[in-house]
Amino acid sequence: MPSAAEVKSLFRQFLRVGRKFPNYNIRHYIQRRSKDEFHSLAANTDAAAVEAAWQRAKSQLEVWQRQSVVYQLYGRKVKTVLELDQAAAARQHAG
Amino acid sequence: MEQQLVQQLPSTGVGSKLPHLAECVYLDYNATTPIYPEVSEAMKPYIYELFGNPSSVHAYGQQTRAAVDKARQQVAGLINCSPDEVAFTSCGTESDNWALWGAVMARRGSSSSSSSSSQQGLPHVVTSQIEHPAVTACLRSMAEQGLCTFTAVPVDSQGLISVTDVVSALTPNTVLVSIMHSNNEVGSLQPVAAIAAAVRQAAPGCLVHSDAAQSMGKVAVDVQQLGVDLLTLVGHKFGAPKGVAALYIRQGVQLANLLSGGSQERGRRGGTENVLLLAGLGAAAELAQLEADATAAHMRSMRDRLAAGLLAALPRHLVRINGPQDSALQLPNTLSISVKGLSAPSLLQMLAQKLAASAGAACHSSHGPAVSPVLQAMRLHPDYAVGTLRLSTGRHTTADEVDRAVTLIVGAARKQGLEFGSSGSSSDTANGTAAH
Repeated sequence: MPSAAEVKSLFRQFLRVGRKFPNYNIRHYIQRRSKDEFHSLAANTDAAAVEAAWQRAKSQLEVWQRQSVVYQLYGRKVKTVLELDQAAAARQHAG
Repeated sequence: MEQQLVQQLPSTGVGSKLPHLAECVYLDYNATTPIYPEVSEAMKPYIYELFGNPSSVHAYGQQTRAAVDKARQQVAGLINCSPDEVAFTSCGTESDNWALWGAVMARRGSSSSSSSSSQQGLPHVVTSQIEHPAVTACLRSMAEQGLCTFTAVPVDSQGLISVTDVVSALTPNTVLVSIMHSNNEVGSLQPVAAIAAAVRQAAPGCLVHSDAAQSMGKVAVDVQQLGVDLLTLVGHKFGAPKGVAALYIRQGVQLANLLSGGSQERGRRGGTENVLLLAGLGAAAELAQLEADATAAHMRSMRDRLAAGLLAALPRHLVRINGPQDSALQLPNTLSISVKGLSAPSLLQMLAQKLAASAGAACHSSHGPAVSPVLQAMRLHPDYAVGTLRLSTGRHTTADEVDRAVTLIVGAARKQGLEFGSSGSSSDTANGTAAH
């Protein structure tokens, strides 16, 4: 059974690897899905289910890590207008 | 550099095309889906390292044989059947054609050996008016060749098929009932389980096939619960690559082969297995099973956001949403929305670089817009049919994309001269369902 610190660390790793994807949709998907999945894991008290989810999450992280490299090599190198809008909104908010 | 670009563009980011920007929002998941990263991961070994022919007995063949077997188990797990009941094909059209051809020819084969064959009449198939062309065109072709007859039962204004209508269409010669599990245009979920049960009672020897191409990865599809004999599923609708599909064939069902050749697929479908694509199909199936609820909930959330945004921005009295009013009878990701006075084909043409979606009509230069058979079968008024957009969300759709799509559609509608000023009535029941 993983400790709370281990779960938090793994969650941060998911968010970090998600940021590495140049593909806007995949990046957002990983972030959204990771948050949803880890939040539901936090609420789960079944030790066997938590352990199974933990093992699955660790192997899934490896998949994302490899795929982030592939997407950086072969994915399109362009931003989307949604990213441009978000950057503009962030600047406006900061300014 | 990015600072300069931001300053040059309007605040929405919609403006001059920039070569290093991708503008197009994808809301056409019912047409096809991207290959999911996890699926791509599963396929890679079969590009670079594992290339053996699964029919070979040596080590190279054993590795790819294992991959094919694993994919079969993964697909079987998704639809709750035995792996032996899963036959891989190249596409949904092949699966549908095989089901139809196989059932008709199996019956013709058995009746030709009967002494009373000349009196039995042609095999008959019951289908619906909203099936995919892979079903309707195949049946038309077989009928023209004198191989069978068929009856296409109508749908109601919500795109739903009546069990009674299907049973009423049965004849003593009916060999197959083929009804799609969900419709790709309006998302209506058909009462396949009820139809299968009714057909079993009314015509015990008749097979039941369902094209579930649009359902996989969106709603649960359990062949035991459905009670079907044959079921089509298609990889590129749920994150697998294009060019791979499957046909569920219930144990004991006799189907004539569509492709004859080697002994692959237990002698049912000759042809060296496409190991690369099958690895992807299997991975997608496992993913669909694992993420079923989460993916459906997200798709529904994005679809509902899209519907709400469009209903709030467009003139309410000109808008109607097509398909079942009961959301439980509809795919979670599909929004078919009609706007009177709009030309959906022209709108999509105008937005082709910015919005990926489909229309309920196609531009036709000589005779005007060609309205889809599905909308015609639902008796949607042509004024609405021409203005019908099909928008479909997916696993990777974001809220920002939905909001941008609403802005783009409303903007394009204004450019087409849609009247935004008058409020009018909030409902129009000229042809069935009101806006909801």
